[in-house]
Amino acid sequence: MFGSITTDMVLAILPEIALLVLIAVVFVTDLVVDEKRRGILAWTSIIGLLITMLLTAFFAQPGAEAETLWGGMLRHDWLAYVSKLIFLFGALITTVFTLNWDSVRFKGEFYVLLLTSTLGMTLMGASADLIMLFLSIETTSIPLYVLAGFLTDDDRSTEAGFKYLLFGAMTTAVMLYGFSLLYGFAGSTGLYEISAAIGAGQIPAAALAGAAVLVLVGFGFKVAMAPLHFWAPDVYEGAPTPITAFLSTASKAAGFVVLTRVMIAAFSSVQAEWQLMLAIAAVISMTLGNLVALSQTNIKRLLAYSSIAHAGYALLGVIAASELGAASVVYYFLVYVVTNMAAFGVVIVVSRVIGSDEIADYAGLSRRSPGLALVMLLAFLSLAGIPPLGGFIAKVLVFAAAVQAEFVWLAVIGVLNAIIGLYYYLIVLKVVYLTPGKDEQKALPTPRPQAVALVVSIVLLLLMGTVFAPWYQWALNSASALF
Amino acid sequence: MTPIQLVFLFVAFATLWAAFMVVTRNNLVHAALFLVIALFGVAVLFVMLEAGFLAVIQVLVYIGAIAILMIFAVMLTRGDVDDIPDITNRYAGWVGLVAVLFFSSLVILMAQWPSFTALAKPILSSRDTIVELGTALVSPNGYVIPFEVASVMLLAALIGALVVARPRKGK
Amino acid sequence: MVPVSYYLALAAILFALGALGVLIRRNAIIIFMSIELMLNAANLLFVAFARSFESLDGQIYVFFVIAVAAAEVAVGLALIVTIFRTKHSIDIDELSSMKG
Repeated sequence: MFGSITTDMVLAILPEIALLVLIAVVFVTDLVVDEKRRGILAWTSIIGLLITMLLTAFFAQPGAEAETLWGGMLRHDWLAYVSKLIFLFGALITTVFTLNWDSVRFKGEFYVLLLTSTLGMTLMGASADLIMLFLSIETTSIPLYVLAGFLTDDDRSTEAGFKYLLFGAMTTAVMLYGFSLLYGFAGSTGLYEISAAIGAGQIPAAALAGAAVLVLVGFGFKVAMAPLHFWAPDVYEGAPTPITAFLSTASKAAGFVVLTRVMIAAFSSVQAEWQLMLAIAAVISMTLGNLVALSQTNIKRLLAYSSIAHAGYALLGVIAASELGAASVVYYFLVYVVTNMAAFGVVIVVSRVIGSDEIADYAGLSRRSPGLALVMLLAFLSLAGIPPLGGFIAKVLVFAAAVQAEFVWLAVIGVLNAIIGLYYYLIVLKVVYLTPGKDEQKALPTPRPQAVALVVSIVLLLLMGTVFAPWYQWALNSASALF
Repeated sequence: MTPIQLVFLFVAFATLWAAFMVVTRNNLVHAALFLVIALFGVAVLFVMLEAGFLAVIQVLVYIGAIAILMIFAVMLTRGDVDDIPDITNRYAGWVGLVAVLFFSSLVILMAQWPSFTALAKPILSSRDTIVELGTALVSPNGYVIPFEVASVMLLAALIGALVVARPRKGK
Repeated sequence: MVPVSYYLALAAILFALGALGVLIRRNAIIIFMSIELMLNAANLLFVAFARSFESLDGQIYVFFVIAVAAAEVAVGLALIVTIFRTKHSIDIDELSSMKG
């Protein structure tokens, strides 16, 4: 009656098991260690995440054939594997960035919530069932609502948490209604069974497209694409900066993995309809994100609008609905997570010292800390898509996917937008390198752990731009799991 | 019209009326009490759909915990319980219209679906659904992973609510 | 017996009412109540479909939705109370300390 648990099943959820153990360890450490020595909490999380990544990389690698395990709940394929590594990397770097930050680093709850959210993301990457999908999205989101509002002494943080929660709860309710319609049409909650049932049944395309709209509302919120981006600038600005980094990288990537998987698996029979919807969303996201970013004076808001624009670029890969398209999305997020982590890392280190997120206060950064300025230069140029950095190849891939799928006009709009994007990234770099600042003599030290994290990110960024093959192989493997 | 259909109509109208009151009442305590009625109506509909277990959960969790929590929150945020002069926000007009249009079109779309008007089959009563539910929730070939994940999520929510609501230092 | 379509129509209206509340009201607690109405509409659909398919998947879904709703409300109301402590208002139109 119960069925048995095989080794395969355990290996498939190895990252989740490791994370759960880590959550328990952090939780208990927080209880037994006295207040002055709680600094070890962050280090426990970092070491634990490193071990989890290694375990995942070496033992949780899927075979050539995708498997559906645990009663159809989870999929054990390359997409899940690669995305889990991306999320774990995001959580790891985020944790490193909290190290010298006294308002959270003695708080075990912060790390417990961060790890729980990561656990939710790893499950999002593997979900093959509407029930699992809904639960994992919520397991990701609910801790993030709290983390965004974690600094209860700071009104802007509380407000960010609340706005995030309010928009999140609304869009989740709409998405759930879409899920219930899908279940009604197909008679099953398994994503892959749904696609078979829809292919065989006589469900009117219009009704299915209606359900797709509802589902897209929920996913659109998670990836912060227009017109569901309203929350992003305020939440990004108000949330603690490491959490902003986590939101704009891992959380967005998780949304995209789910978006790609669900659209391609469950909605293939109304492909033309959802392609059109997403194409409109992509055009608005890119254009609006880039244009509004031009006039920002706060670096966190600028990166928020830039991340909306990047959601637009990555959408091109989803819209292509081809193997190249899916591979380009995976590649895009490999690069984007690393790049944005580096960019936010600089913001975190700088704002620790100068206590401001205004772009004007970055004047003279290149004299105060040449290293940080260089990291910022490389990260921003990669975001703008300049060779030989990772961002260039990522952009080329998504545009190529769009062209191959005969969405040439989308690719043209994308390229035009990339040019606008280049402009505001260069404005920030101009402030960093050319504008004279107030206290240029004062050095701006980077704490060692953060420096290591930044260097790792930059090295990965350069590798992704130059040594193209291994990463692309990962992306291709992930994409072929979908088709 | 059979008696069961009459019961359905009565419960459905009561639920919708209560839901309408929730959305339109100015007084928050009244709105919360109407929410209880609406949730109870849904519980009765669950019973009519032979989902007795869920009806019990609905009453225990939704009415017993969630609605009561809402009333607590209303009392903790007293001050603007009922003295907002204008209860709707600035986008009310056209947003409301869009919502209504969208969902009426959804109903029309669904009406084209062949199974839409099918009568529910008189079944299930012979099956022991509670045992089946219980087994499915803990079986590795069923829903054990979501079940465990739900427990982690509830723990995180518990910790999260404590973190946020804890009074600040020095106040 | 009651046709499934009755339940679908009821759920659609309930959902529309909830969505209306979310979109037009300003008070954060009322918005939360409206979100609960939307979730209940989805739950009703799941149970109605589960009944017509003679399968339990839909019922299990509702079980989890109720758990998620409880978690979301706990966190949401905690945030509302915190906001109220500083702003003495839970009017969402007044949540605008950030602009740009």
